[in-house]
Amino acid sequence: MIIELKNINKSFDKNVVLKDVSLTIKGGEIYALLGENGAGKSTLMNILGGVHQKDRGQILIDGKEVNFRTPAQSQEAGIAFIHQELNLINDLPVYENMFIGREIKTKYKTLDHEKMIEETEAMFKKININLDPKKMVRDLDASYKQIVEICRAMMTEASIIIMDEPTTSLTDSEIERVFEMMTTLKNQGVGLIFISHKLKEVMHICDRYAVLRDGKLVSEGNVKDVTTKDLARYMVGYDVRTDHLSKKRDLGDNVLRVENLTYEHIFKNINFSIKKGEVVGFTGLLGDGRSELFQTIFGADDLTSGHIYLDGEKVQLKNTYDAIDKGLAYLPRNRKENAIIHDMNILENSSIATWPKYAKYGVINYPAHQKRFDHLRKQLRIKMGRASDSILSLSGGNQQKVILAKWLSTDPKILILDNPTQGVDVGAKEDIYDIISELADRNIAVIVLSSEAQEIIRLCDRAFVMYQGVIQGTVSGEAMTEHNIMSLATGGELT
Amino acid sequence: MSENVNKKRSFMGWFKYKWNYDPLFSILIALIIMIILQTFVLGFDYDSFGSWWQAWSTNWMNLLRNNAGVAIIALGMTFVIMTGGIDLSVGATLVATGAFAMMLIDVGERGLLGMIGITGVTAIILTIILTVIFGYFLGMLNGIVITKGMVPPFIATLGAMMVFRSVTQHVMQGYNPRVPTEFLEIASFKIGNLMIMPIFYWAIIAAIMYFISKRTTFGRQIIAVGSNERAAKLSGINVNKVKLRVYSLMGLLVAIAAIIQVSRIGSMDYAGAGRGLEMDAIAAAVVGGTSMMGGRGFILGTVYGMLIISILNNLLNLFGVPPLLRDAFKGLIVIAAVLLQRKKDA
Ligand SMILES: Nc1ncnc2c1ncn2[C@@H]1O[C@H](COP(=O)(O)OP(=O)(O)OP(=O)(O)O)[C@@H](O)[C@H]1O
Ligand SMILES: [Mg+2]
Repeated sequence: MIIELKNINKSFDKNVVLKDVSLTIKGGEIYALLGENGAGKSTLMNILGGVHQKDRGQILIDGKEVNFRTPAQSQEAGIAFIHQELNLINDLPVYENMFIGREIKTKYKTLDHEKMIEETEAMFKKININLDPKKMVRDLDASYKQIVEICRAMMTEASIIIMDEPTTSLTDSEIERVFEMMTTLKNQGVGLIFISHKLKEVMHICDRYAVLRDGKLVSEGNVKDVTTKDLARYMVGYDVRTDHLSKKRDLGDNVLRVENLTYEHIFKNINFSIKKGEVVGFTGLLGDGRSELFQTIFGADDLTSGHIYLDGEKVQLKNTYDAIDKGLAYLPRNRKENAIIHDMNILENSSIATWPKYAKYGVINYPAHQKRFDHLRKQLRIKMGRASDSILSLSGGNQQKVILAKWLSTDPKILILDNPTQGVDVGAKEDIYDIISELADRNIAVIVLSSEAQEIIRLCDRAFVMYQGVIQGTVSGEAMTEHNIMSLATGGELT
Repeated sequence: MSENVNKKRSFMGWFKYKWNYDPLFSILIALIIMIILQTFVLGFDYDSFGSWWQAWSTNWMNLLRNNAGVAIIALGMTFVIMTGGIDLSVGATLVATGAFAMMLIDVGERGLLGMIGITGVTAIILTIILTVIFGYFLGMLNGIVITKGMVPPFIATLGAMMVFRSVTQHVMQGYNPRVPTEFLEIASFKIGNLMIMPIFYWAIIAAIMYFISKRTTFGRQIIAVGSNERAAKLSGINVNKVKLRVYSLMGLLVAIAAIIQVSRIGSMDYAGAGRGLEMDAIAAAVVGGTSMMGGRGFILGTVYGMLIISILNNLLNLFGVPPLLRDAFKGLIVIAAVLLQRKKDA
């Protein structure tokens, strides 16, 4: 199958998002669609997927013009779409989600649950994922949800699969298995469109690439002819720094210490302490419990047992409000489910955590929030219209930056960042790293939760590696290598 | 639409934009159409403008006054629905708080305030304050069962509905409090020769609720909770506290509606009063654009919604539609209003 996009144009109200974009994608190749946050990648794919309508231009499939008015029409034409934000039905079990819209029926026209469970199991086995198909999607962690979405798309027997940042919550070993699947499909003649900000992945798996900037196609070619550095430059228009970040800092007193934290079945006997001005990493594989650990420390869930000390004093955090009040900030992973308030505008999403702090008689002080946000908006280079626009009018990466702004504006003593650069482009990633370093220089303790070993290595002074709910080991200095992290993350020892 | 972005928008362009993007616009248009329709039904006539105006304004006064109680309850219901909840107990709470008020103010020998020697204006003021507190307390009970007990709002308030009404009926059995005429002034006090007080209360409460929903931490946190509860929690919002306050506020507003009702009629039918009230309140909110899924809701929309439903009732009356058939029209209007707004969610 060959898909030709010809001179696609699209605007949202006054905002021109795509300008005469033309691309050709063939079966049997993996095509990387690149560009900085807000460049128009998702919008272009949403047009191909029937989610949005183009203003002008043509879509040709095998030479015949098509016009998708609904996602269903695009699916019927053989296009599967993994969206940037999770798109599963929480109240159905995994296997039913896998077969939504193409359920397997028995000869009595009822749902054939056994068959669907069986096929789902076979699929998970194929990519070596340990997941019960009968589990409710609601109870899955973001990474598992992402895996379910990927598997679902791959099972549809589509001729073209669009993957819009499918690996943002996954760790390297799962990503590796997803890539194996992609290669298999490619060899079967399926065409894959792969959107990612992780350029190493792109170099590793993609055949051809196209780069969008401000809605225009700026570069196109074979991946083997370019380096990650080139791609980064095409995307943002300048050379992106790749060297090491300075980590020489004077550490202050202990600011956070936890003792024997346990939450049944999720994590147990967690002990660590963190100093002022320190950047500490937490990493591990799927189901290592790090997100749950810090959500609990942040007061969102109740502890089963254990103690938390702030500045040497034992505290009992009753709820998240209390935690913020005591100087904690926690940026959750998986923004769509844990952070984005879709009925609110950009300014409100960026300030919700500090409303009580600046309010007088319970009245929100919008001017004060606007002022703080304007500052952060420049620092983070958030690409947006007006602050009163809906948060959903932003591209994924820019939504992430707004959520980051929300937590930065709380002026925390301890900043916990869970997968902070999810969906953020290469340039903005460096901006965020700079901000983190600067915060640490100002004596703020920063905890970075990430599944990207490189992110941990570049940013952190020290890292804890978790495995199935326990801290398997710590690494720092010279010992902080991808090899060591991987070995601990899989339950091994330091060698 | 993007083609003519840089050109100045024509009226049609403006209209289309508002229609598609302003959720309250279509509902306002519907309201205006209904008002025009009603105006003509009342026989607008240029030559006898004076008498037309007389009939028109009297009709409007009655309409607004008769619906002030439900309208106030609908405002509270809007908040409840915005958190993703529902309150089925408002009718029963109306009866319970109404009975409570009458027991306090009763000038007969069983009157509670009378027994301890409080009478006159002091008694009236005290009755108002205590009744409002009582309503707040009943609402809070709902809130506690929902947040602490984690009982779904539908179930919790369904239970409360039965309990409140049944207990009230039992307690008030064979007891007919007499409400003093001064108490009736709360609703029937005239400004000029207009009996405008209930409308006045409605307007003030709507204005306060509007302000709360637009500008206050509490009001915006309601949206956050209804829109994405987990995200709200992870943003430092005490979700349970917000819900508790919303249900308490609901009870408080019902108590105010109860005081208005008691002071208008001077008595209350404990078995029948407030039946179906919850449905009218929900209908007003939904017609006004509030989403039953939570998150999205408009106080102003609920005011429009209430007016639309009131005018509809009024029109059905004027047209002489048989009473048993009227609910059908109400039902259709609710569905039509939601259909009208559907496209905006897409
Ligand atoms: N529904 C919408 N309404 C208004 N504007 C939108 C909408 N969706 C996207 N945009 C705008 O279109 C532009 C392109 O967004 P798009 O989501 O395509 O970016 P992207 O390349 O996918 O970025 P990212 O890497 O952050 O995901 C952005 O400026 C965004 O604000
Ligand atoms: Mg995108």
